[in-house]
Amino acid sequence: MRARVRAWDVAMLLLLAAWATPFFWQVRTSFTPDGELLATSRVLPARPTLIHYRAVVERSVMPRALGNSLAVASITTLVALAIGLPAAYGIARLPVPGKGLLLLAVVASTAFPQITTVSPLYLLMRALGLRDTWTALVLANTSFALPLLIWLLAGFIREIPIEVEEAAFLDGAGRLGTLRRVVLPLVAPGVASAALLTFLASWNEFLFAYTFTATEASRTVPVALALFPGVFEVPWGDIAAASILASLPPIIIVVGLQRWLVRGLVAGAMKE
Amino acid sequence: MTGRQRADRLAGLAFVAPAALTLAALALYPGLWVLWLSLQQRIPIFGIARFVGLDHYAFLATDPRFWNAARVTVVFTGVSVALELVLGLAVALALERQRRGRRLALSLLLLAWALPSVVTAKLFEWLYHPSAGLVNLLLGRPLNWLGDPALALPGLIAADVWRTMPFVALLCFARLVTIPPEVYEAARVDGAGRWATLAWITLPLLRSILLVALLFRTLDALRAFDLMYVLTGGGPANTTETLTVYAYRSLFQTLQLGFGSAIGVVIFALVMAVAAGYLRALRREGLAA
Amino acid sequence: MRWAALIVAAALVLGGCAERRDSAGPVTLVFKHAKILGPSDPLPGLLREFERRHPGVTVRSEPLTWTSDEQHQFYVINLEGASPTFDVLMLDVIWVPEFAQAGWLLDLSPWVTREELAPHFPAAVAAATWGGRVWGLPWNMNVGVVYYRADLLAKYGLAAPRTWEELAAQAQRIRAGERDGRLDGVLWQGKQYEGLVCNVLEHFWGEGTVLLGDDGRVLPHVDRAEEALTFMRGLIERGVSPGWVTAGDEELTRRPFGDGRAVFLRSWPYALDLFEAADSPVRGRVGIAALPGHAGAAVGAGTTGGFHLAVNRRTRYQEAAVELVRYLAGEPAERALTAAGVALYPTRMALYHEPEIVRLRPHMPRFHDLMLAARPRPVTPYYLMLSTTVQPEFSAALVAVKTPRQALEHARHRLEYMLGGIR
Repeated sequence: MRARVRAWDVAMLLLLAAWATPFFWQVRTSFTPDGELLATSRVLPARPTLIHYRAVVERSVMPRALGNSLAVASITTLVALAIGLPAAYGIARLPVPGKGLLLLAVVASTAFPQITTVSPLYLLMRALGLRDTWTALVLANTSFALPLLIWLLAGFIREIPIEVEEAAFLDGAGRLGTLRRVVLPLVAPGVASAALLTFLASWNEFLFAYTFTATEASRTVPVALALFPGVFEVPWGDIAAASILASLPPIIIVVGLQRWLVRGLVAGAMKE
Repeated sequence: MTGRQRADRLAGLAFVAPAALTLAALALYPGLWVLWLSLQQRIPIFGIARFVGLDHYAFLATDPRFWNAARVTVVFTGVSVALELVLGLAVALALERQRRGRRLALSLLLLAWALPSVVTAKLFEWLYHPSAGLVNLLLGRPLNWLGDPALALPGLIAADVWRTMPFVALLCFARLVTIPPEVYEAARVDGAGRWATLAWITLPLLRSILLVALLFRTLDALRAFDLMYVLTGGGPANTTETLTVYAYRSLFQTLQLGFGSAIGVVIFALVMAVAAGYLRALRREGLAA
Repeated sequence: MRWAALIVAAALVLGGCAERRDSAGPVTLVFKHAKILGPSDPLPGLLREFERRHPGVTVRSEPLTWTSDEQHQFYVINLEGASPTFDVLMLDVIWVPEFAQAGWLLDLSPWVTREELAPHFPAAVAAATWGGRVWGLPWNMNVGVVYYRADLLAKYGLAAPRTWEELAAQAQRIRAGERDGRLDGVLWQGKQYEGLVCNVLEHFWGEGTVLLGDDGRVLPHVDRAEEALTFMRGLIERGVSPGWVTAGDEELTRRPFGDGRAVFLRSWPYALDLFEAADSPVRGRVGIAALPGHAGAAVGAGTTGGFHLAVNRRTRYQEAAVELVRYLAGEPAERALTAAGVALYPTRMALYHEPEIVRLRPHMPRFHDLMLAARPRPVTPYYLMLSTTVQPEFSAALVAVKTPRQALEHARHRLEYMLGGIR
């Protein structure tokens, strides 16, 4: 019995590794010198090289874009948390006037197509003179990150038994005190999951970033990758290296912070 | 109302107000504004802002390019979602039987899902390269994936399924592991074979999560933009131009904010209609709040 | 909320206006331009010379992104803002009416005389003019040309073709004679991008029709346009052109011809320098022909292209900026650029016959004649809208997703709607 299960385990891992082949092929490409790129039938490059990574790090806008993405994604997550956590608590626990309507608005907002709101947002950013700034991207990303966050957090907060909070009240803690000392520690893992999902969504965001940025000053990683320059021929090796660099935070989250990520994803679906 | 209740109401308002205001400013207001824009011929760089009423919608109704985009969107969504569900379910079932190495398995699985869609687009652009791409190397034929009108859409769908199957697989897997083993025990005792168990026990229990996955994935596929825009740009001769790509090009290539907004409103209505339909179905299943 | 934002923006602009008079202190001009390709880059030298002649003025050179679309997006986003981040800009000729209409360019009419413009190609000057006023100075010139393998044509006793039908027949004859499976007939740019519009327009003109009539009518002779598109599609169907030209741009088509694998190539002057390079397989064997017309229809003409220099209307240093533009478009500067062998050709006609320059680049007089006969793409502020609307239709006809007639009808329907009411 144990031997057969082991074979299945290995088979599954091989199957899933095969599914991830496109990614591994890109990793391989990033270490393959130009000469071997267009005429190849080997699995691994004959002469692996770091030349593409050097080109990307030293001569492209990727480092700057990585910085921009990091800043925009982090700030968006923080802003969304700051606004969203209290809102989630209010929706979950407090008698908010018009709660039904608000909940409907939140849910509807998560279904908003970005393509629909991009034109008015473009005019808004233009009027406020915010094009090519981090602010524009943070605002645009918040528009879809906030409803998602509120929805997830409200679900997580509802999981906490009401008796725990009641006990805190009986002990004399006020609303804010309860929130800070009782609810927050209990919902912390949920907050971490939601924050991870928000960060990931903001890191990967393309449409708003493409529309609202004009120069390297605010260009994020997906946009920099999409606009990767090639003089005459497409620099596949450099693009591969840039792609791998662009994927580092998502990879770290998937591999290192998997537990929270999975929790967030599943919670979002199960809390329907 | 007691003092405590009033304090609670005030607290509720205070907690919720910033979020409500932000959503109103960043989601609701633009939602209304885009409706207004769609009724104008609006070209900002020339300062043109002319009210044209429903002219854009009337034009779209007879616009071959609009209907082509609608067809591409529906085909893309339908085929992509169907493949994701079937493959995702299969992978989840297989994964559930795995005992060791689940964490590694999940890492490998979720990798495809977590990558930025632009990275995926560049990945597949290289895979589909006519002479050096892995796909043609494996097939042994020099197919022009991204340049052939007949191959571009299948190629795009393949890229999308690669990227989104893990999400469906994860949802199903999460549900599967919550099914108590006693259920399977009882089935075995009753003499049910593997396939019978699958069909009559497992699938019905997965029904709710599959519907949820169906909802999410359909909405996402209808709104998809990044992958097709970067991979094919709308494809050879608009064979991969979905409604979203059509809207974006109208908005920012030709700078017609009015006309592009009209397409955006149509997409919005479509997505909302589908969402409402699904939610009603889910409510009937007793799943929605 | 929008009104408040507009008031704030207006206040900012008005506040900025106060600074627009030329200040007496040190001046830094920012010059935005695309990277100059070629064996050497003479531009920095020219800019330093300008600084020497105008003490107190520094010029900072800032490169643009690579592709035309990105450059356009950069300009649109930045020129709409209130504060000027650059003073002098290099513009594709097709953008001049658009930018002029949008009010982003400084009207150069008070600064530039007709005599000053006379030495430039008339087509270039026409492209710099809009609404009777001058918005830029011509700087680089481009024209569509046909390259052919003079050695192959001579081998079969053929002269350069004067019609497309003749060209196709020659290509087929040579291919049959050479029995080389890898030798293509004629290469041209059929990918869905701006270059495609140039190619299609040349065939339209060869059939005696246009895309946008002088009266503003779209596709005034659909039948002739249909013939043109059918012919282009026919080149692929008959095998005169390989199927991949529908994904071909300038570089993808230049390389095979430069490696000796095609008889004809429709391209731009820049390619010739590469064909005549020391290590080129086709060195000394390439001939230049004018764009042919179609049999029984009209005389052919190449499309014009190129770049102009213009001044940002919101610059704080009008005088200095205009001086820079006049200097760079002036005779010594254009001569220096041409002599350095960069991949762009001057707009001053006299330079094409100067002995020094002809010695360096023997084909200059030939290009001069071709440029004189060339025609511009539709000159309208809505050119980009026009182009991005017809590109997918033309492409659909070329890959046989639509018939040429359908494609043209769809193109006309859309263009009439888009342009309706705003001209």
